[in-house]
Amino acid sequence: MAENFFWVGRYLERAEGTTRLLAEHHQLLVEDTRVPYGDGCRVLLDALALGEAEARNVDNPHALVRAVLGSTSDPGTVAGSVTAARENARAIRDALSGDVYEALHGVHLRLRAATSSEIEPLSPGVLLHGVLERLAVVAGVLDWTSPRDEAFVFLRLGRALERIDMTARLLKVRHDLLWPESGPATALRAAGGLHAFLRGGHPLNGEQVRAFLVLDPTFPRSMLGCALAAEQAARELEALGSVSPHGGILRTVGLLRSELEFVPTDPSPEIVDHLAIYGLGSATEAGTEVRTAFFRQVGTVVWSH
Amino acid sequence: MSSVAGNESGIKQDHVPPDHANPRYVPLAHAYDEMFDADGVVRAGLEPLADALVEMGPEGLRERGRLRDAHLSAQGITFTLSGRERPLPLDLVPRIVTSDEWRTVSDGVAQRIRALEAFLADVYGRGDIMRDGVVPKSLVTSSSHYHRQAYGIVPPNGVRIHVAGVDLVRDDAGTFHVLEDNLRSPSGVSYVLENRRTLAHVLPEVFAGYRVQPVSEYPERLYRALSAAAPPDIHHPTVVVLSPGVYNSAHFEHAFLARRMGTELVEGRDLFCRGGFVYMRTTQGPQPVHVIYRRIDDDYLDPVQFHPDSVLGVPGLLNAARAGAVTIANGVGNGVADDKALYPFVPKIIDYYLGETPILPNVPTYDLRDADVRAFVLGRLDTMVIKPVDGSGGYGLVIGPKATDEELAQAAKSIQEDPRAWVAQPVVQLSTSPTVVGAGALQPRHLDLRPFAVNDGRKVWVMPGGLTRVALTQGSLVVNSSQGGGSKDTWVLASQDVDDDDGWIGAEAILASHQQSRTVPDRAPNSPRDSLPSPHEARMRQQEEQQQQNLGPVAEREFRFPGDRSC
Repeated sequence: MAENFFWVGRYLERAEGTTRLLAEHHQLLVEDTRVPYGDGCRVLLDALALGEAEARNVDNPHALVRAVLGSTSDPGTVAGSVTAARENARAIRDALSGDVYEALHGVHLRLRAATSSEIEPLSPGVLLHGVLERLAVVAGVLDWTSPRDEAFVFLRLGRALERIDMTARLLKVRHDLLWPESGPATALRAAGGLHAFLRGGHPLNGEQVRAFLVLDPTFPRSMLGCALAAEQAARELEALGSVSPHGGILRTVGLLRSELEFVPTDPSPEIVDHLAIYGLGSATEAGTEVRTAFFRQVGTVVWSH
Repeated sequence: MSSVAGNESGIKQDHVPPDHANPRYVPLAHAYDEMFDADGVVRAGLEPLADALVEMGPEGLRERGRLRDAHLSAQGITFTLSGRERPLPLDLVPRIVTSDEWRTVSDGVAQRIRALEAFLADVYGRGDIMRDGVVPKSLVTSSSHYHRQAYGIVPPNGVRIHVAGVDLVRDDAGTFHVLEDNLRSPSGVSYVLENRRTLAHVLPEVFAGYRVQPVSEYPERLYRALSAAAPPDIHHPTVVVLSPGVYNSAHFEHAFLARRMGTELVEGRDLFCRGGFVYMRTTQGPQPVHVIYRRIDDDYLDPVQFHPDSVLGVPGLLNAARAGAVTIANGVGNGVADDKALYPFVPKIIDYYLGETPILPNVPTYDLRDADVRAFVLGRLDTMVIKPVDGSGGYGLVIGPKATDEELAQAAKSIQEDPRAWVAQPVVQLSTSPTVVGAGALQPRHLDLRPFAVNDGRKVWVMPGGLTRVALTQGSLVVNSSQGGGSKDTWVLASQDVDDDDGWIGAEAILASHQQSRTVPDRAPNSPRDSLPSPHEARMRQQEEQQQQNLGPVAEREFRFPGDRSC
C-alpha cells in the first residue's frame, strides 16, 4: 500500500513534468526552426531516455509529441506513466478519495484515446495543454482530499524524488545552448518556474537559469526545493518509525540537500552542472533504497488453517 | 502536412494561385499584395505558406480559428475597447518579411531613433537645431507635447526614447514608408509575443517551411535597457512599470511586461516622493525606485507639474527625475518629437544630426500652417487623409475618399480654426495580405507594420518582428486596434547565409555530454526512468488468477500501515 502511494506520487509527477517539458520543447521547436527538427527531437528523447530518435524515425515535432506521449505500456512516457499511476491507484482505490480516482481515470482515458488514435491531433499544443490541465486537477484533488497520514508522506516522497529526476533531465536538454535567445525561458517554463525566476530579479540567461533550477531554495521544482521536500518526508517517516535513523534513504536525501544547500555563493556553471548530475544520481539511489527498504518482493505466502 | 520543399522546387509554374488557393482571392488593383505579385503568382519565399493555406482549405482555417479563439480567451490575452475586455483579433495568416526587406526596416528605424534622440536632447537643451533654422522654433514650442518642465532633465545614459514603435506602411510598389513615430508609450509589443506563441500553438505545421527569427527576448532586452538607464552608482536598480490601472486599454500589456521583466507593476498611489527620491510602498516599508517605465501620459505623471487633479501620477516625480534620483522612461516631453507636424522635418533632422540620408522615406505630408498649402489641401480634401497632430490610436482621423460631405466640411472648418492642430497626407494605398474573413475565406486586407525599437544607450535594437495591424473591414485603411483592427503575426525570416555554426552549440555536443554523464560511476548505463520493477501485466495476470483460485500468491504487498496490519 505504501508502495502504491509512493508510485502514484512518482508517476503523476513524471507525467506532469514530462508533459510540460514536451509542450514547451515542442513550442520552441515549432517557433524557432533555426534548430533542425532532427536535432531538437534527439536531445529531448535522449534526455528522457526514450531511445534513439533516428532508430524511432522521430524527425519532426508531430512525431516527437507522439513518441513522448508514447504508449500506455512504456512508463517512461506520458501515457505510460499515467497508466502506471492509475494501476497503482486502482490497487489502493479504497484509500483514495473517489475524486482522485475519477480525475486520474479521466486523464488515463484521454491519453489512451489520444495515443491509440491514428489521426494526428490538429494542434499538439492544445492536446498537451489539456493533459496538463487534467493532471493539475488530479494533483489538486489529491492535495485537498487526502488525509495527512503516513501514506501521504510516501506520496510526497515519491513526488519529490521524481521531481529531482525530472529537473535533471530537463537540464540535460540544454535549451540554453540550442536556442540562445528563447532557450532559457523555455527551460524555466518547462519547470513552471519562469514567474518565480523573474520575480527573483535574476538576469535571464542560461547560467542563471541552470543555477536557479538546481539551487533555488524557494522554488518547489528546483533540485534543492525537491531535496528539501524529500528530506522532510524522510524525516517524517523516521519519526513515525518507518525509516531507520541510520543510513539509507534519509542519509541519501539529507546529503543531497546539504550539498545543494551549502554551495559557495555564485557557483560556477561547472559546479552547477556537477551538482545536477549528482542530484540525478542521488534521486536514483534514493529510489532504489525506498524500494529495497519497504517493498521487497516476497515469496509466496502460504496460509495454513 | 506542408512539405519543407518549395523555394527551389519549381513549384511556381504549377502555382496559379489566386484562383487555386481560394477561388475568391483577388488582390486589389492599386495596392501591393504581400503574397501575390501583379500576375497573381506567389512571391518568392511565400510558397510554403501558400501551400499550407491551400492544404488547410476553408474548413481547416475555420477549425484553426476555433482553436485560436479558445486559446486566446483561455490565456486572457485581451485588449480593452470602450471599456470592454476582448481579445485582440489575430489573423491566422502570418505576414512574412524577408531578411533583406527587414534589414532596410531595421536600419531605417534605428537611424530614425538615433536622430530623434539627438533632436530631443537638443530641444530640451541648447536648441541648436532651432537656432540653425532647420526646424522652426514656433513649431516646437507650439507642440502640445513640448513641456518646459522637461527642460534641463538630463537622463543618466542620455536616452529619452527607451522604447519606440515606428509605424510603417508599404506603398503600391512595396516600398516601406514611415507613417508616424510613437515615442511616448508605444503599445502592442505584448501582442507580438503572444501572437507568436498562439500561432505556433494552433498552426504548428506552417512554421515548418521557414526559419523565423524569435521575438521572445524582447522583455529581457527592455529590462536591460531600463536598468542601463538607472541613475549612476546604482548597481541593482529597482525598475517598476507604472500603469494607469486595470481600466486602461493596454493594461494587459503593462502587466505582461512587468511579469516578463520580473518587475513590480505599480500605480501612482503605490509610489511617493520624499526628499527628492522616489519610493515604493511595500509591506517592509518604503523601497527606493530607480527606473520608472511609465505607461501614463506626461499630463498625468506629476500633479505638481502638470494636471493638478491627476490621481494617476506621483507628486514630485519630475523634481526627483531632475535631481537625477530616478529615471523616467520614456522621457518626459518626448511627444514633441512624434508630433505629426514635426514629422515632415524628420528627414532634415536625420541629415542635421547624423549627416545621413533617411533609409526609410516619409509619406508626403502637408504643413497646414502655410496659407498656400492650406488652400491647396482644402481644395482637394476628398483625396487626403487628415490627422490631428497629437492624436494616436486613429482617433480624429478623416480619410477623404471615404468621408461624408459633412465630415469633410467639419474637417475643413477645424483646419481653418487651428491649422497647427492638423496635418494632411495623400491617401496611401496600404499593402494587402490574404486575411481570413467570415467562414474561412481568404481576402485581401490592408495592413501596416509597427516595429519596436529598444535603446539601451549603446545601441538601438529593433526587434525582428513587430505588430502587423490589419484593417478587418473590407477596403478600410484604418488599422488601429482601438478602431477595431486586428493583428497578424509578423515573421522576419532568418537570413539564409547565417548558418548554424556561428558559435552555436549543436545537438551533437549535447548528446555527447549525455554520454559523458552516463559514464559517471553508480549510474545505470542508460540512466533509464526509475520504474516499478514488475510489469503491470504480470501483476494483473497474477491477480486474475487469484480471483479464480481464491488462494495463491500475495504479490509484493508486504508492507502495510499499522492500521492495516490485521492479519
